[in-house]
Amino acid sequence: MARKISYKQAINEALDLEMRRDPTVIVLGEDIVGGAGAPGELDAWGGVLGVTKGLHAKHGNRLMDTPLSESAYIGAAIGAAACGMRPVAELMFLDFMGVCFDQILNQAAKFKYMFGGKAKTPVVIRAMVGAGFRAAAQHSQMLTPLFTHVPGLKVVCPSNAYDAKGLLIQSIRDDDPVIFCEHKALYGSEADVPEESYAIPFGEANIVREGKDVTIVSYGLTVHRALDAAEKLAKTGVQAEVIDLRTLSPIDWDTVIESVENTGRLVVVDEANPRCSIAGDVAAHVAQNAFGALKAAPQMVTAPHTPVPFSPVLEDLYIPSADAIAAAVTKTTARALAA
Amino acid sequence: MTPKVGIIANPISARDIRRVVASANSVQIADRANIVLRALAALRACGVEEAVMMPERAGIAGHVLRGIERARAHGEDRFPRLSFLPMPVTGTVEDTRRAARLMAAAGDIAAIIVLGGDGTHRAVVGGCGSVPVAGISTGTNNAFPEHREPTITGLATGLAAMGLVPARIAFADNKKIEVSLDGAPPEIALVDVAIVTDRFVGARALWRTETFRELYVTFADPEVIGMAAIAGLIEPVSRTEAGGLAVTLAPTAATRVRAPIAPGLVEEIGIESWRRLPAGAVLTPALAAGAIALDGERELFFDPHQQVEIRLVDRAFHTVDVAAVMRFAAREHLLVDRPLVDA
Amino acid sequence: MTNNPFPLSKDELLAAYRTMRTIRDFEERLHVEFAKGDIPGFVHLYAGEEACAAGIMMHLTDIDRIASTHRGHGHCIAKGVDVHEMMAEIYGKSTGACRGKGGSMHIADLSKGMMGANGILGAGAPLICGAGLAAKFRGDGGVGITFFGDGASNQGTVLESMNLAAIWNLPVIFVVENNGYAESTSVEYATAVDSYVDRAAGFGLPGVTVDGTDFFAVHEAAGEVIRRAREGGGPALLECKTIRFFGHFEGDAQTYKAKGENDYNRENRDCLRIFANRVTSAGAVSEAEISLVDREVAALIDAAVESAKGAPLPSPRELLTDVYVAY
Repeated sequence: MARKISYKQAINEALDLEMRRDPTVIVLGEDIVGGAGAPGELDAWGGVLGVTKGLHAKHGNRLMDTPLSESAYIGAAIGAAACGMRPVAELMFLDFMGVCFDQILNQAAKFKYMFGGKAKTPVVIRAMVGAGFRAAAQHSQMLTPLFTHVPGLKVVCPSNAYDAKGLLIQSIRDDDPVIFCEHKALYGSEADVPEESYAIPFGEANIVREGKDVTIVSYGLTVHRALDAAEKLAKTGVQAEVIDLRTLSPIDWDTVIESVENTGRLVVVDEANPRCSIAGDVAAHVAQNAFGALKAAPQMVTAPHTPVPFSPVLEDLYIPSADAIAAAVTKTTARALAA
Repeated sequence: MTPKVGIIANPISARDIRRVVASANSVQIADRANIVLRALAALRACGVEEAVMMPERAGIAGHVLRGIERARAHGEDRFPRLSFLPMPVTGTVEDTRRAARLMAAAGDIAAIIVLGGDGTHRAVVGGCGSVPVAGISTGTNNAFPEHREPTITGLATGLAAMGLVPARIAFADNKKIEVSLDGAPPEIALVDVAIVTDRFVGARALWRTETFRELYVTFADPEVIGMAAIAGLIEPVSRTEAGGLAVTLAPTAATRVRAPIAPGLVEEIGIESWRRLPAGAVLTPALAAGAIALDGERELFFDPHQQVEIRLVDRAFHTVDVAAVMRFAAREHLLVDRPLVDA
Repeated sequence: MTNNPFPLSKDELLAAYRTMRTIRDFEERLHVEFAKGDIPGFVHLYAGEEACAAGIMMHLTDIDRIASTHRGHGHCIAKGVDVHEMMAEIYGKSTGACRGKGGSMHIADLSKGMMGANGILGAGAPLICGAGLAAKFRGDGGVGITFFGDGASNQGTVLESMNLAAIWNLPVIFVVENNGYAESTSVEYATAVDSYVDRAAGFGLPGVTVDGTDFFAVHEAAGEVIRRAREGGGPALLECKTIRFFGHFEGDAQTYKAKGENDYNRENRDCLRIFANRVTSAGAVSEAEISLVDREVAALIDAAVESAKGAPLPSPRELLTDVYVAY
C-alpha cells in the first residue's frame, strides 16, 4: 500500500526494514541515536535532522552513537563490513569526508581489487549533500564527483522519497561500498511510497518526463529544477525529456545515449562545481559516443567554480536555477531553429 | 665545595604486564619529571647546590630541564645546578646499575634519590655501595620505597646530605638477600626472593599463584604490597630487626592466606610452613628447577644440575631515614630561620 | 620431570621457531632477490622483528583478525598466509595471494583473518575496531590486533581508534612495534609522549612494554592482553621494543643509523638466536631439531622463489576484474 511520506521518513523506513530483515545490519554515526551517556532522553535527536529517530527503540544497540571521530568510526564500519557485517555509517555531512577520506579512498574502495577479488566490503556511508540550507561552505557541497571518480565505490543520490527508500535498501544489500548522498533540501519532500520493502537496482536511470526536443540529465535536487524548466519550456513548445540518473556510479549510459539519439540535444545539470563534474562526464561521454546524433553542442548547467556562499542572496545564485536550465536548453535549440 | 645529591629516575619502571593483569598504576613521564623537580626544589631549600642525574632518553630529563629553564626565565632560583652523568643510554636496567656505580665512584655524592619501584631500587643498591638511598615510589610494586610526598623526601635528603643531621640518625641500615647460581657473583633482592615453577623469564612479573613454591623476605610488613605481603600476613618482621622470614608455599596446602601479591591482585596462597631466616645462613631451594623472582620479577632460572644459594645479609646498605631526619629537623629547628621564643 | 621449562610444548616451541625462521629467511631472501632487480616496486622487510609477530600470533586462530602494516610479511606468515602465494604476489604473478594485484604492501588473506598489509600508515587501527565490533556483535570471542610502528603511532587514526575501542570496550589490541625509526626519523624526535604506556593511559587503556626481541616476553604479555580482550575485558596496548635489521625499504642506505648499529643488533639482539640458545640450552629442543627446521625452511623459501619466478603473469583481462562484486 502506497501512502505519502517524506524523503526523510523513507530513509528511516528503509533502515528499519533492512535491520529487521538482516541481523548483520548495524547503524552507526554521530548523534544518530542522540544523547548517548547524557542525562536527558535517549534517542534525543535520532540524527542531527531526525532521520534515524525512533529506530533505537526498535533495534536497540544495533544503532550506535559514535564520538566525533570520523576516521575511527567510518574506518570501523569499513572494517566490520570486511568482517561480515553490513554497517550503515552516517557521515552527517559529506563535506566531512575531509577527515576520513583515507578509509574510503584507500581502504574500502581498494580491498576487492587490491586483495585479488578475495574481499567484499558491503558498507553504506550515508551523508547529507547539497546547498540551500544556508549552511555555508563546509556543510553544503555536492561532492559526488570526487567519489564517482574512485573505482570501487558506488555513488547514489536519490531525488525523491520513493527512490530514497528503494535505493537505500539496494545500497544495504549491495556487496560493494556505497556512498549514499541525501540532499538535505529534499528531506521534507513527499511522494507515494509503498509500505513494503523494494529495491531499486543501481545503474537504472529514471525518465521522469518524456520529451522529444532536448534531453536534460540531472540527479538529486536539480532534477526538480530541471522539471520546472521543462514545464516552462513546454509553454514555448519545446518538449524536454528529463532523466534522473539516480546512481552516478554505476551510471546508466544507455538511457542517456538513447534519449540523446532521439532528441539530438543535451543539457546536463549538476549542483557540483563544474570542473571534472558529473556534468562534464556526461557531456564528454555523449560527445564521444553519440556525436552523430547531436544537433547542438551539449550544455552544462552547474554551480560556479566557487565555494558555497553563506548569504542567502548569494547561495540562491549558486544553485542551478530553472531559468538557467531553460536558458541552456534555448542555446541548444536556437542553433537548430536558425539552421 | 658542598656535597652533591644524585638522582636516578627510571623512565621504564611501571610499564609491565601488571597494568593488564592487576590495574597497576602507570606514573607518566611528565609526572616523574615533576617529582624530580619537587625533590630538586627541596634539596635547594636545604642548601644543596648541585645535583647529578642519570641521563635517559625517555623524556624525564627533557621535562626536568624545561622546568628548570622556565623557573629561571621567571627569575626564580629554586633549583640546584643539574648535570648528567657522562654515560651511554641503553634504555635498559643496565643504565640504572651503571649510574649507581658511577655515583658511588664519584666520591662527592652524599645520597641518591631514586624514582622507581622495587626493581629500580634493587638495581641501584646493586651499584651504589655505601652511598645512602632515598626512595620515591614510582614503580609497579613499591614495597621497598616508602610512599611519601617527594618534596619531603627531598628535604630529608638535603638536610642529611648537608650534614645537618648526625649520620646515626639520618641513615638507616637495611637488609638484603643474595642469590647466587653455581657460585657466580650474587644477584640481590631488597624485599623478597620467590622460587616459582616457571622456568622462563617471559613478561617477568609474578601473578600466577599456582607456580609459587618458596619465599624469602628481608622484612614482612602486613601493610606491604607484593610477594612479601604473604609473609607479612603470617608473621611480621620489621625492616630494622635482624633476620627475615622463609616461607614454603604449595598450591594445595591447607593453610590459605589471602595476600595482595601485586597492586589490585589479592590472591589465595597455600602456606605449608614458615620459619625465621637468620642472617648469614646459606639456604638452598627445595624445588629442583624453576625461576627465581627477585622483588617480584623473574630474573633467573635454574636447572636440577645448578647450585642455588640464598643468603640474607644484615646491614647491607643505607637508606635516608626520612621520618627520623624530619623529626630531628623539627626538634632542632633546622628549617626555622630565626630564634623562637620559648613559651 | 620434563626437560621443558617453558610455557609451551616442544611442538609449540618448534612451531614458534619455524614461524620466526620462515619470516627471517623470507626477508633475507627478498633482500637478495630485490637487489638483483627481479622484484617490482618496493618492499619493507620485517627481519629483526620476528618475535613480535610470532609471539602474538600464536595466541590467535582464524576467527581473530589482524590489520597489518606496510612491513607486513612477518604478520602474514605468522597468521598463516601461504608462503608460496606471498612470494608469487611480491613477484606480481597471477598465482599470488592477491593474483598480482596487491603486491608486497597489500598481501591479505581474509580466510586466515589477515585483513591486509597496508600502505597507509595507521589505517589498520580503525579497521580493526570494525573487526572487534563485528566479533562483539557476533559474540564469537574473536579479537582484533592492529599493528603499527612508532611512526604511525602519531597518526590521528590510531589515537581516534584507541578512544573508540575504549568507549565501546572492543576486543582489540593495539600493538606498537617500536623499532626506533619512523622511516628515517627517530622516535625520540617524532613522538612527544615518551612512553606508549603513557599514551594508552591517556585513553584509559592498560599498556604493557616488553622486550620485542624476547619471544617469551612477547608471548606471555600478548597471551594476557588477548585473553583479557577475548573475555570482554576490553582493549589494551602492547609495546614491543624491537629492531629492524634492514632499512625502511630495500635500497635505503640507512645512513641515519649509528655506525655499527646493525652489526651490534645482529650480534646481540637477534630474536632468533636468543630463542634458539634459550630453548637448546634448557634442553627443551635439541640443536639437531633446530637445524632440521632451518633446513626445511630454507627449502621452502627456495621452492617459493623458484615457483614464483616460474609462475605465470596476470593476463591482460585481469586489469579490469575485481573492482566491484557486481557493477
